[in-house]
Amino acid sequence: MPAVQETIDQVRLIDVDQYKYGFETTIEMEKAPKGLSEDIIRFISAKKNEPEWMLAWRLEAYQRWLTLEEPTWARVDYPKIDFNDLYYYAAPKNQSGPMSIDDVDPEILKTYEKLGIPLREQEILAGVKTSKIAVDAVFDSVSVVTTFKEELKKAGVIFMSISEAIREYPELVKKYLGTVVPTTDNFYATLNSAVFTDGSFVFVPKGVRCPMELSTYFRINEKNTGQFERTLIIAEEGAYVSYLEGCTAPQRDENQLHAAVVELVALDDAEIKYSTVQNWYPGDKEGKGGIYNFVTKRGDCRGKNSKISWTQVETGSAITWKYPSCILRGDGSRGEFYSIAVSNGHQQIDSGTKMIHLGKNTSSRIISKGIAAGVSQNTYRGQVSTHRKAENARNFTQCDSLLIGDRCGAHTVPYIEARNASAQFEHEATTSKISEDQLFYCLQRGIPEEAAIALIVNGFVKEVIQELPMEFAVEAQKLISISLEGSVG
Amino acid sequence: MNMQAGIKLTAAEAALVDTYNEQLGDLPGDGATLLARDTLLSDLKKAGLPTRRIEAWHYTDLKALLRAVPAFVLGADAGRVDPIVPGSAVLSVVNGKAHARVMQEGITVRSYGEALLDGSAAGDLVARDSDDVIGRINGSFVRDGLSIDFEDGLVVESPVEIQSVQNCGQVNTRFPVRFGAGSKATVIERHLAVGKEAALVTSVTDVTLADGAEVTWIIFQSEGEADTHLAQFKAELGANARLRLYVINAGGKLVRQEIDVAVTGEGSDLTLRGINLLGGESHTDVTFNVGHDVAHTTSTEVIRNVVFDRARGVFQGQIRVAQDAQKTDAKMSCNTLLLSDDAEFSAKPELEIFADDVQCGHGATVIDIDHTQLFYLMARGVPENKARAMLVNAFVAEIVEELEDETLVEALEGVISDWLETHA
Repeated sequence: MPAVQETIDQVRLIDVDQYKYGFETTIEMEKAPKGLSEDIIRFISAKKNEPEWMLAWRLEAYQRWLTLEEPTWARVDYPKIDFNDLYYYAAPKNQSGPMSIDDVDPEILKTYEKLGIPLREQEILAGVKTSKIAVDAVFDSVSVVTTFKEELKKAGVIFMSISEAIREYPELVKKYLGTVVPTTDNFYATLNSAVFTDGSFVFVPKGVRCPMELSTYFRINEKNTGQFERTLIIAEEGAYVSYLEGCTAPQRDENQLHAAVVELVALDDAEIKYSTVQNWYPGDKEGKGGIYNFVTKRGDCRGKNSKISWTQVETGSAITWKYPSCILRGDGSRGEFYSIAVSNGHQQIDSGTKMIHLGKNTSSRIISKGIAAGVSQNTYRGQVSTHRKAENARNFTQCDSLLIGDRCGAHTVPYIEARNASAQFEHEATTSKISEDQLFYCLQRGIPEEAAIALIVNGFVKEVIQELPMEFAVEAQKLISISLEGSVG
Repeated sequence: MNMQAGIKLTAAEAALVDTYNEQLGDLPGDGATLLARDTLLSDLKKAGLPTRRIEAWHYTDLKALLRAVPAFVLGADAGRVDPIVPGSAVLSVVNGKAHARVMQEGITVRSYGEALLDGSAAGDLVARDSDDVIGRINGSFVRDGLSIDFEDGLVVESPVEIQSVQNCGQVNTRFPVRFGAGSKATVIERHLAVGKEAALVTSVTDVTLADGAEVTWIIFQSEGEADTHLAQFKAELGANARLRLYVINAGGKLVRQEIDVAVTGEGSDLTLRGINLLGGESHTDVTFNVGHDVAHTTSTEVIRNVVFDRARGVFQGQIRVAQDAQKTDAKMSCNTLLLSDDAEFSAKPELEIFADDVQCGHGATVIDIDHTQLFYLMARGVPENKARAMLVNAFVAEIVEELEDETLVEALEGVISDWLETHA
């Protein structure tokens, strides 16, 4: 069955020419000279007042990067990137790091206001209806403000920009940085290791349940710059944290590169919930401009019974190359991946996840929903593997896709690798099979077919949406009513 | 990939090149045929055997797995065996040497070696794409095979068995087969070994179904424990043609069976059923591609794998639906029973869809034997090994039973139980 009208209308609402965040902030910027070299890396490191070991770490990654080749296996197509034609550092003048909100350039504050991101703690408090959210706001290469730092500190939670953390908690950063995504991991992660400029650092100590939602809002503003952020989240034994990132960029004809690395570490019984609402500029109707989103995100369930859960709502970027993954190392650990990816216009998405079962009694769950419209290409690529010693590994995967129009493509590429007789893997990409039963039960109770389908679909999509923190579910709300009817595997 | 250019050849690669040079004057065909062979070999030499960096070979690193190539043995004796289904008309291929014979009226059989000699087969000797190493090896070395033609409207009652028996050395065969419009037939393509010594077997089957043809094609592979079996099955379906393809792997040390079906006629249907019985230290890879190129076509694929010992299994399946292929209905499932902690199975069931009004799906599972079922059987006094064998048998027999022909079902169930008895 083709897509129903309601779905088509909903997808049109978020079509590429409806992009609301395409404005540009005019502000005086300080940039590193164009290009990439050891000197640029020294420049970035010096700007951030980094210790010597950090610079050495970056330079080593850079040397490694020079030997690597850009990956070509993904189902995306773009002209070769000239890595020497980019600015690797751009920061608002007089702002080389986070400062008190009163000192931040009003233009920047206005930008975040327009984006709907609350940066003033009292404003957030005024809106008592929602619970508190601490925000780290990253503008091009620097973090400009981090809110609720003091309050979080009382609970023992460290939430600050990674540049600050490198200076203030070098031992913690040193202990965990690069242990989930090593500097040798892949082309873009290695590049990020060499030139990352900012990002967030979260440390939740033993037994602490982080008292509020944490979030980082990434904004690319400057022309010709690449944004290379690095986020590191550590949840010690029994800790819990929920974190959300959002991202937007101005509308421009050129393509811009965003190559981030996110590392999560969950120790015994800890839980990390990481949500993304990715809304980078997707390019225009003709496919001109837009962000290349080449991101490495990985969580390490290092401790027993730990849990990492990724939720993503992807509507932006010209090209997305992203596979938030879980290494299920600790016995009894659990990984989850919930994703809604909508591609419009000329967007290309190659995204999915990896669930690597290493410990005993580990389980994982993947629910992915892709919707392709326009002339876009939407690929789910996911890997589920068990190690020989990973007894009783369990996986359930369900990925569905829907095509709107006959000029786009939807693709599913799962890799299922079982090396242990006690593994139980189920990969399911047929919606009709599940909904036939459900539909039957609804019809039997006298619910008309259209209403029954809406009911089932809402129930399914909510599964993903409800994983998002309440405050941000609104952003994804418009996707809720998208019908799964007529979807293909 | 450019990085492989000029790289030192592995022992197996070097052996292939040497064998070619030794056999050069001996291989049937000159002129265009020879030129085609030369091109394929030189491409093979340039690219080498594929590694896991080549996506199509991701789980079968042929460069690492194919360590040696047995020497070519001229005139090694292999003999013949009884057909799987009693009463089948047998077309015999002994150690790569085909014996064309007169069949019932309406079936024309010709030696492929002759087609190579007279140059009419030269056009076949091309690689599908740069990943087509089987096409390259087979095209370089092919000596014989059978061209078979079923005339329009012909209905063949009992099965035709193409029986390729080998005993060590190298066997390279091709089987172009055409089924005329409205014809009906059952063909069993059987590859088996009689000796214990290693052999390298490559075989390419190229089947065309004209409009309205209905064909059941069964590939039964039971090579020896030391053998390498690299095979391709290609098919093109005309309008309203129906192909029921069964692929049963129950032997070999290193096996790659590629299946490529082009659903090019409206209203046509492909039914693929695969059974992989894997044991010992074997590595078996079934790589399947179906392309739905026109509207209103259907395909279903069910693959059942049973993996014992230290065996490794691979299933890569891709359903492609072209932009014009509206109303396609395609479903693929791959179910695996892993029966040993040292066994491995990797599956990559892929969908590539460009049409918006289609129904496509795939499912894949990997499980162990259901312990409650095992318990219930044992509680009734069935010894554990027997109970296991029963459950495993039921898991694969289910899809054999879909064939309505009783003698065929019985014969296939027989070979499956035989295998399970010696391996479970």
